[in-house]
Amino acid sequence: MAVRTIEVRERVMARNDELAGGVRRRLADAGIVALNLVSSPGAGKTYLLEKTLAALGEELDIAVVTGDVQTQNDADRLARHTTRLVQAVVTGGACHLDALQVNTALDAIDLTRTRLLFIENVGNLVCPASWDLGELCKVVLFTVTEGEDKPLKYPKMFQNAKYAVLTKTDLLPYVPFDVALAKVNARAVNPALEFFEVSATNGSGMEAWFAFLRGLVASGATV
Amino acid sequence: MHEMSVAMEIARIAEQKLGAQASMLCTVAVEVGDDSGLEPSSLEFCLDVVFRTPPFTGAKPEILRRAGNVLQVAYLEIDDGCPDD
Ligand SMILES: Nc1nc2c(ncn2[C@@H]2O[C@H](COP(=O)(O)OP(=O)(O)O)[C@@H](O)[C@H]2O)c(=O)[nH]1
Ligand SMILES: [Mg+2]
Repeated sequence: MAVRTIEVRERVMARNDELAGGVRRRLADAGIVALNLVSSPGAGKTYLLEKTLAALGEELDIAVVTGDVQTQNDADRLARHTTRLVQAVVTGGACHLDALQVNTALDAIDLTRTRLLFIENVGNLVCPASWDLGELCKVVLFTVTEGEDKPLKYPKMFQNAKYAVLTKTDLLPYVPFDVALAKVNARAVNPALEFFEVSATNGSGMEAWFAFLRGLVASGATV
Repeated sequence: MHEMSVAMEIARIAEQKLGAQASMLCTVAVEVGDDSGLEPSSLEFCLDVVFRTPPFTGAKPEILRRAGNVLQVAYLEIDDGCPDD
């Protein structure tokens, strides 16, 4: 038999990265700051967004794209806190959002009246790290019930994030969790990581988070 | 966990390169870095399944382990069924 070899040398992520570049240009043209929220399931992405929408939704013209494997539950929860359309992406099994899904979701959003876009990724501390969605940066949430060692166990997610939000700090009195150690672990894999500590339940730390978002939108940093 | 998505993207790349010759594909070689976030044996399993599905006819995956975070299709081998000359 005659076997012929065809050299390819093509990056598997090349197409997603190209689409993400398109999303990034679209957002930049519209002057929109986009944050990609990633975490394990249940770390509090949706609840943080609910409180953020309630406080700043109108002020900062916030739009949301939310991804889940199944159901529109998160979109329904978020819709109660905003007059804007909350775009749900049901991945139907996939463990992450990709740039094509985000690009399609943007078609349903009025970009001319959006200044801040949140993309709530599928709950998963592994896969979403590999997919660029065209965001300004990734924000990784992790919670006091997950243990201080998660940044060491899932380094890629913490390396690829610019900001980390420690959530559910109202539970600190009830769980043995060393905040300082968690930060040491996170900065061991990403020294530049900036931290927020919040409780969406009792409001602690939320003002610092809101101030950060206001500053980000005011700076107009889209890329 | 996203090995299946990656396998399907690799199939898309192969189909784009091969066009009508896709059915002759016999080997698909993929370079997988240790820091690519992929489990090589799981990717191999997924590729095996995906490349049994038309237009492919059972190409064998070959995983080439590499350092770093590389993830790329290295080469494809097609067998045109003709005897060697
Ligand atoms: N005690 C406490 N519970 C929270 C907090 N934030 C979220 N939760 C709860 O954690 C669960 C998961 O939150 P959710 O926002 O759905 O997480 P997601 O999967 O990351 O979107 C829900 O039952 C929330 O009510 C918090 O700040 N404190
Ligand atoms: Mg959620």
